[in-house]
Amino acid sequence: MSSSRDIILERVREALAPLPKRAPLPEWDLSRARSAVAPAGADLWPAFAARLRAVNGTPVASPDELVALLGAKGWHHGYCDPALWPALKAAFPATFTVETAFDRERVDDYQFGITSAVGAIAETGTIVLNDRGTTTRLAALAPWVHVAAIRRENIVPDLASALAVLGDDPNVIWVTGPSKTADVEGILIEGVHGPGLQVALLLD
Amino acid sequence: MARQPIDQFVEGISAEKRASVYLGTKVTHEKRDKLLHDHYADPDALRRLAGEIKQHVVENLDTYLPKVEAKLQSNGVKVHWASTAEEACAAVHGIMKARGATKLVKAKTMVSEEIGLADYLEHRGIEALETDLGEFIVQIDHDHPSHIVRPIIHKSRKEIATSFEREGLGAYNDDPETITRRARAFLRKKFLQADVGLTGANFVSVESGRLVIVTNEGNSRFSLAATKCHIALVGIEKLVPRDRDLGLFLNLLARSATAQQLTVYTEFISGPKAAAQPDGPEEMHVIFVDNRRTEVLASECREILRCIRCGACLNVCPVYRQVSGHAYRSVYPGPVGAVLSPLLEGDKFADKADLPKASSLCGACNEVCPVNIPIPDLLLRLRNKGKREHAPLAEAGSPPMGAWALMASSPAAWKTALVAGKLMNVLPKTWIPIPAMKAWTDTRTLPEWRGGEFRKWLRQRPRKADGTKGSPQSHTP
Amino acid sequence: MASDRQLPRADRRVMLMATCLCDAFYADAARATVEVLEHLGCTVEFPEGQTCCGQPAFNGGDWDASRQVVRHAVKTFAGDLPVIVPSGSCAAMLTHGTALEFEKEADLGEVRQLGRRTWELADFIVNGLGVKTWPGRYEGRIAFHRSCHCRGSETVPAALALLSSIAGASVAPFGESDQCCGFGGTFSVSFPHISSAMGTLKLEHIRASAPDVLVSVDMSCLMHMAGLAEKAGQPIRTQHVAQVLRDALRNGNLL
Repeated sequence: MSSSRDIILERVREALAPLPKRAPLPEWDLSRARSAVAPAGADLWPAFAARLRAVNGTPVASPDELVALLGAKGWHHGYCDPALWPALKAAFPATFTVETAFDRERVDDYQFGITSAVGAIAETGTIVLNDRGTTTRLAALAPWVHVAAIRRENIVPDLASALAVLGDDPNVIWVTGPSKTADVEGILIEGVHGPGLQVALLLD
Repeated sequence: MARQPIDQFVEGISAEKRASVYLGTKVTHEKRDKLLHDHYADPDALRRLAGEIKQHVVENLDTYLPKVEAKLQSNGVKVHWASTAEEACAAVHGIMKARGATKLVKAKTMVSEEIGLADYLEHRGIEALETDLGEFIVQIDHDHPSHIVRPIIHKSRKEIATSFEREGLGAYNDDPETITRRARAFLRKKFLQADVGLTGANFVSVESGRLVIVTNEGNSRFSLAATKCHIALVGIEKLVPRDRDLGLFLNLLARSATAQQLTVYTEFISGPKAAAQPDGPEEMHVIFVDNRRTEVLASECREILRCIRCGACLNVCPVYRQVSGHAYRSVYPGPVGAVLSPLLEGDKFADKADLPKASSLCGACNEVCPVNIPIPDLLLRLRNKGKREHAPLAEAGSPPMGAWALMASSPAAWKTALVAGKLMNVLPKTWIPIPAMKAWTDTRTLPEWRGGEFRKWLRQRPRKADGTKGSPQSHTP
Repeated sequence: MASDRQLPRADRRVMLMATCLCDAFYADAARATVEVLEHLGCTVEFPEGQTCCGQPAFNGGDWDASRQVVRHAVKTFAGDLPVIVPSGSCAAMLTHGTALEFEKEADLGEVRQLGRRTWELADFIVNGLGVKTWPGRYEGRIAFHRSCHCRGSETVPAALALLSSIAGASVAPFGESDQCCGFGGTFSVSFPHISSAMGTLKLEHIRASAPDVLVSVDMSCLMHMAGLAEKAGQPIRTQHVAQVLRDALRNGNLL
């Protein structure tokens, strides 16, 4: 008895056999995928920040600004990637409890999670995370606030450029603003399963 | 005369429901249109290009499928093949049994709807929970999605609040934000307890073996952060040749589906999690599902396999806007469903032979399709198939054409009929024993019959002096 | 579609396909087509044996019946003269629909030959004859219905260019102008509820722009909308594009 694999592939071959010719693969210039809002220039942070705001994301340009934002909302308990913490620690007053190990048994205890982004896309306001750069997937997803720490030089201008640098990480995720839905009567609600506030923190 | 089921269905839809479906689809369609034109000088050229790439994939599946299988395997993914819905369900069940798994969280996948996965697993003692908010509501209501992208476009917040109360998710509250927060809290626990995360795939790159999954809610991501085993159900047509092609498809998909520049979460998954990563699947399975796709491939409607499930054709379709999704009695409603659903019935095509008729052939679907599927042409081909196979549902409510064809290929009979038709001006319309006539005159008046008048004018009008201009030549070849 | 079509001859001899609807109901639209073409210096031949383009059966799925009628049209309109049709829908049938239903037929070539020289009227005037503005005078606010079978063709921009160039005329925009009126041929009788609902919505949009007249390149759409409007007790005035062009000539004493 043939395997399902062989049956399917045989059916595919039979279905295609009568075609007199096959449609060719068109070549196309990646610049065609660039939208009118894709920026150019050396410093892409301002353009990225503007596009991030356009998708209701929150760019912050310094650790102090981040702490002010979290403090104002009363979000004092969170997680931080241990590799990032030494650089950020000084900005956080003692009123904050920041853990550097994430406990999945207490996902709802963390009001914010700070992890590293490996890049960002200015055209779309997108943060790029991957498995090797993110200490824990859950810390970047479960807390109400996700803070992605980004280096200026890792921002790429457009989506097509970001595709070219996906690299060999088994899991790359592009995050474009807070988690959202419009399932109920088309009304936009943010923070469905993921963060309700998506922050990009510039590391300089 | 038998009536068309979809036309009958529309009578049962409340004005409120019809208005909300109309508004929801109209708003998305108009935003889509604006975004595409604001962002691209010639979005139609991009749609055509994307269509050419997908058509190339469809016509070269024989080489691409083994290629992508090898790539996935070399990435550490276990590849399975399912030729039927039953086999696909059994493959999921088999993977779970082997792991001793009993709880599955599901991201939104149309293939899983198509194969009836949730029911299959529930009957075998496995909890298979929908995690997309809309799909979750569909599931607790034992309902069916009525739109490819917006499964509960047919439901009001009041109905949802009532369902949540019934399911013990909190006292009646129809505020959409409260509804969303309650689902978040409930489903979060389920994610963390689940053994397996099941997703579909929007695209699979043959070049890299990357699965691309897009969601706005982050439910797919949560299931892949919380569980240790990932199963992806993938229709065999979901391939794109190269990673770079995703630059086109991701841009078109987000704008076409939800009028976004990019969907919130776009995941590129080429295998189990990285070794150092504490969260996420250690084991990854891809199940390639045929379920009659090879029959569609062999048919004269193979272009429908380009579809990337964006729902833009539903949003623009004047018929869908009136009838909404359930009228189509299928997993895939709207214009794409009117083509795909009857084909996926296989030898029971006749059961859905009416779907291709439920269109004024206005062509709006083709104009918005991000992969430029000639949906009206495919509907016409299926109407012809219905006629050839004498499917009663294809014939219902349609005037027979035999006598007309005879008359319309005989000039003498035609001319006689033109003049005889004048009788219609004196007979009360309700006496005319033609059902099609009644279907017309119930809601519309008929213009006055003027058969033969134009020809008479041509013959009798005075000729002009110059002999050429103003002197039409009447001739009979 | 536009690339392989045959341009008109220098002597401006053309054949007219009046369409079955004009033959049966809308004699004046056909007459206006003749008058407009003659004003442009065309010599119009009217093959008496003509009947229909075959579209009703094509759309109904009865391609055997349709092909029978198309073959009759191919015979009736034999030759190399351009065939002018005052209907975007019938033109689309001959330029596109027949290619589909004759795909596997031996006489595909002859059918395509007719398709290549078939022109919708406004398209012919603007893109065939190169006439881009229209003389005369027409007082009125026009709601122009883009009939669906003109999608992807040159007809809509052509008709809009002509209409908006007429002294005294203005084209009034209205909501969701790319949506179908609900006619759809046999769809209108096999799906009467949906068809009527679509048409009623269309009429609401059109009325909101308070036009003096509803104009289209297709009498079929106009028949549907006018019939709905009249049955609902709110009749609207409709005219074929050819009638507007002809009336403009008359008002300008050019005819």
